[in-house]
This record gives sequence, structure tokens and C-alpha cells, in this order.
Amino acid sequence: MEFRETLLSAVRTLRSHKMRSALTMLGVVIGTGALVAVMALIAGLNSSVAAQFQSVGTDIISVSRYPWVQMGDSEEYQDRKLITRADAEAVGRLSSVGMMAPNIHTRRHIAHEGRSVRYTLVTGTTAEYETIDNFAVESGRFITDLDVDRRRQSVVLGAAVAEELFPVRDPLEKDVRVGGKRFTVVGVLESKGSLFGESMDDLVLIPISSFEKAFGKRRSVVIDCSPAEGVPIERTIDDIRQLMRIRRGVPRGAADDFAINTQDDLMSAYNSLTGVLYFAMTGIVALALLVGGIGVMNVMLVSVAERTREIGVRKAIGAKRADISSQFLVESIILTGLGGVVGILGGTGIALLVKAATPLPAAVTPVAIALAAAFAVVTGLAFGFYPALRASRLIPIEALRYE
Amino acid sequence: MLIELHDIAKIYEVGTQQVHALRDIDLSVKENEYLAIMGPSGSGKSTLMNIVGCLDTPSEGSYRLKDTEVATLDDDELAEIRSAEIGFVFQTFNLLPRMTAFQNVELPLIYGRSPRSERAERVWETIEAVGLKERAHHRPNELSGGQRQRVAIARALINRPSIILADEPTGNLDSSTGEEIMQIFRDLNNAGNTIILVTHEQYIAEHAARIVKLLDGRIASDALS
Repeated sequence: MEFRETLLSAVRTLRSHKMRSALTMLGVVIGTGALVAVMALIAGLNSSVAAQFQSVGTDIISVSRYPWVQMGDSEEYQDRKLITRADAEAVGRLSSVGMMAPNIHTRRHIAHEGRSVRYTLVTGTTAEYETIDNFAVESGRFITDLDVDRRRQSVVLGAAVAEELFPVRDPLEKDVRVGGKRFTVVGVLESKGSLFGESMDDLVLIPISSFEKAFGKRRSVVIDCSPAEGVPIERTIDDIRQLMRIRRGVPRGAADDFAINTQDDLMSAYNSLTGVLYFAMTGIVALALLVGGIGVMNVMLVSVAERTREIGVRKAIGAKRADISSQFLVESIILTGLGGVVGILGGTGIALLVKAATPLPAAVTPVAIALAAAFAVVTGLAFGFYPALRASRLIPIEALRYE
Repeated sequence: MLIELHDIAKIYEVGTQQVHALRDIDLSVKENEYLAIMGPSGSGKSTLMNIVGCLDTPSEGSYRLKDTEVATLDDDELAEIRSAEIGFVFQTFNLLPRMTAFQNVELPLIYGRSPRSERAERVWETIEAVGLKERAHHRPNELSGGQRQRVAIARALINRPSIILADEPTGNLDSSTGEEIMQIFRDLNNAGNTIILVTHEQYIAEHAARIVKLLDGRIASDALS
């Protein structure tokens, strides 16, 4: 039978059982909708993360006691020796290392004339920190070598701190109290936005020497550096690792008692997280489509039984097995196809909602839509197959006698 | 000779026993004959009709329809024969309820793979021939019994079959409507169609020119009416 006729006939049948068709489609709607929505969310997450990574600065190698991403027991990480400024300078002298900026951190209140910002990150560092860690100065200047040499009480404010303490006036040349100690503002940073939800503008920077003077030396130093020009990052990392192991007396065969972090580590951790997400999503979608498909098969079997007589008549007037089976198969595919369309629209709606209402830039991808559509059609094909086969195999005489 | 049945038998296995629904059937039908197959319930007339109509195959014997041996054809081949050569008219009309009269009559053309362009014209032609032009776009539940049977007859005629097989065509109709339908069959026969009527009613059978009486699966008599 001509395809157009099969199509028209299938649509006619589904329209005459609207409620039943709608309920049957539900499983497929949920499955395809979930697929589109979750893929959109992950796409949004990916682009958000990529953008945030961009702002951090690529190719940073950060040597610290503890890794950025901690796996397993935290016991392993306790009681590690401090990393010193001498370690940092030794690393800085490696030929495969380009720029190096040691940095130490604490949290203090920052105050100015009655206003204060609490538990702000205070970072003691050097001039190179600006380049390596991708900071940009909006007004004034960054920390300089002279600041460090002279242990000046200079401070560079992050955008959020400047905003909070100096809502009206220009912060430059004013005095603030950093953890009670007096510092003079020499610069204000451009806003960097947030990284994984944490504001990157809630910080102040002071010269590392001044930090030690104000807050003591018994803190571990973080060594941020970049590979030298033309040197592959792996070599730089190897050189650093060797140097640090020697300096810290790590025996051969023992694990590092420090961590060398790169952006790649973050990316891998992120990827394995989304890997789990993808896996979970696949499971959910597969389950929804399975349930939906079973529902479709059930309804199609009922439909075949209901229309036994009709099938007998069709065969009597000349329908072949293929005519009958294709009719029911097309009905099944239209059912799931329609469910897929509704699901795709629904999933797209959810993605748009998320994009509008949250900071996540959820984006529906053509791949997701194509995949959802394909799944819908395949479900109709797979679960409509058996009922269609049964219908085609009915014996005309018996079917005609069916009440 | 249009139909030649020779030594036809239909045997069913019921448990360990063999039941002969038909045995020793020899029947020949020429073109343009008007034949009635008559018999009480259980005489085998429905079984014979199913075999003649290519809805079923005999267990034994030969059935030549227009010089083609159809007793050994498979399901799809039988479907093709039915589409091209047989037009069924059932007691309970058996129209498809969700389709209009027009669409019901059109359906055999679709299964027969007629080209789209020809279909509408042929359907209208046939619907007019049974007098249902005004009701063509109504569904069966909007038609009376007599009108439904007319649609069924139009559907049976649409592919210009060699045989029109009517199984108790007036069984669900009142007597005057029944007479109208029998008149249509008479007109069809006069126009050159071969009609085979299957009934248990003597007075219906007498509309035909020849009556074949069945009893217990055999032909008891075969004579002009």
C-alpha cells in the first residue's frame, strides 16, 4: 500500500483515540524531553566552565602542598612540610620555567572608615602574579618589584572590595586596614567574575614581603609559574617535580609530598564529573524510553486485538501481510515520533527556562535534537514490530469471525 | 469456464479425529452465472465459500480460477487474487467504521495499487451505480443498513472482479430493504457480473438462476432454480 495512504490511515486511527494515544506517548515524551534538557544543561555547563577557565589563565602550573582536586582520604595529605620562598626561588631559576610568582594566602577583615569587608582573601605575592594569574588593573597599578624589595605597605583591591569600601570615592592613595594593619591603596583590579560560583573579585593583594612582616612567615607558599617560551609544559612540570623532590628529600619510589596542579587536572576532574552525568543521563533516558516503548507495545497489541475483524476485512479485500504490518508499524512510529516532537519541545522549553532564570547558559544542540528524534523513531520501530507482526499473521477467516 | 472445482475436500484435525467439512466437491461455474449455494448450518457452505473466495485453501483437490490453479497459492498470492478477482459482500457489511463511504469503497483500489489519479473517478462511478452519491462522505454509523450494504457492494465491485461472493447479504436487513439489495444483484448479473450467493434461506436462493444444495459437506443437488 502506498506510503501516503498508510500515513493517512495511521493518523486517522490515532486521532480517533486521542486520550489513549496521548497517555501512551507520555513515556517517550519524558525520555526525549529529558535527553534534550540534560544535554542542553551539560552544554551550558561546558561553555560556562570553558569561559571561566579562560579567565583564570591557561598554562598555569601551581605548586602547592595539596592538590586542587583531592581524591581519596584526606589523611594522606596531612602534615606535609611547608613550601618556602626559597623553594619558590629555586623553581623560578629553572631554565624550563618562564615566569614565577610565589603567593601566600590568609583571610582577614578589610576596613575603611567604618565600612568593612569580612574574611576577604589576602594574598601576598610579586609583580609576576599579574601576568601568570591573568589579573588586569582597572585603575592605579599592580604590585611592583620595588614594593616587594622595600616591603611597602601597598595594597591592590579586588573589584568587589573596592566597590564595598569605596562606593563613591576613588580608592587610590587612601588607607585601609588589612587585618588591622594599615596599607595604602595603589591599585584596583578589573572584575573577573566568578569561578564555579565563587567571586574572584573578593580579594586584596599585598607584596609578599609585607605579608610576611604583617602576618608571619609560618605559612606554606604556593608557587605559580608558567613554562618558558617554546618549552612543552610537560617538561617544565617534570623539572619542577624533580627539583622539589630533591629539595624536600622525598625518597626514590615514594610519592610526591606536594602537588603540581595544572588546568588539565581541573579539566579532567570536570570531565569525569560530566562523564558520570552523561552516564546517569543515558541510563535515565534509556529507562524512560524502555518504559515508554513497553507502553506503546501494549497499546498496539490492544489495538490489534480490537481491530481483528477490521484486519480480516482488509485482508479479504486484498491487503497483503506487508500492507497490514506496515500500517501498524507506521502507527507505532507516528505515536512515538509525535511523542518525540513534544518531548523535544518540552526539553527545549526547560533549557530556555534554565537559561533565563539561572546563570547557566543552557543551550539546546542540534545533536541532542537529532539524537532524541532518532531514539523516538527507533522506539516506535522496535516496540511496534511485534504487534505489527501479529496483525499481519492473522488468519482472515478467523479474524472475520472475531466478535 | 470461470471456476472449476474438482474433488475438493476440507479436513480439520480435531484432537485425534478428522472432520470433513467438505468432501468430493465438484463444481463448475461459467462467466455471468447467477448461482446460489444453499444449505443448513454445518453443511459446509461457509467453508466452500471461503475456498471459492480464496480466503482458504482446500485440503485436497484442485481449484482453477480463470485457468490458474489457486489451491496451492501462499497467503500473499491469495491476497492478490482476492484483490483482482473476488468481491465480497458480507452479512454484517464489515465496513471500516472510521472511514467514510467513499474511503471504504476506495480501499480495494489502494491495496490493488491503482494509480492515484484514476481512483477518485472510479470510486464516484461505482458509488453512483449503487445510488449513494449524496451519502458518499458519511461514515457507516451515519448510514442505514441498506445504505451500508450498498457501500459494501460498491466496494466489492470497485476492482471489477470476476466473481461477486455474497454471504447472507440480506440477513441483517428488513424484507423490503432486502428486496432492494437483491434487485441490485439482479442488475449486476444482467450487466455481466458473475454472482455467487451463499444462504440458508430458500426464498433468497430462488433469486438465483441455479441452486447448489449442500448437506453434510457434500453436494446434494445442483439444479436450475
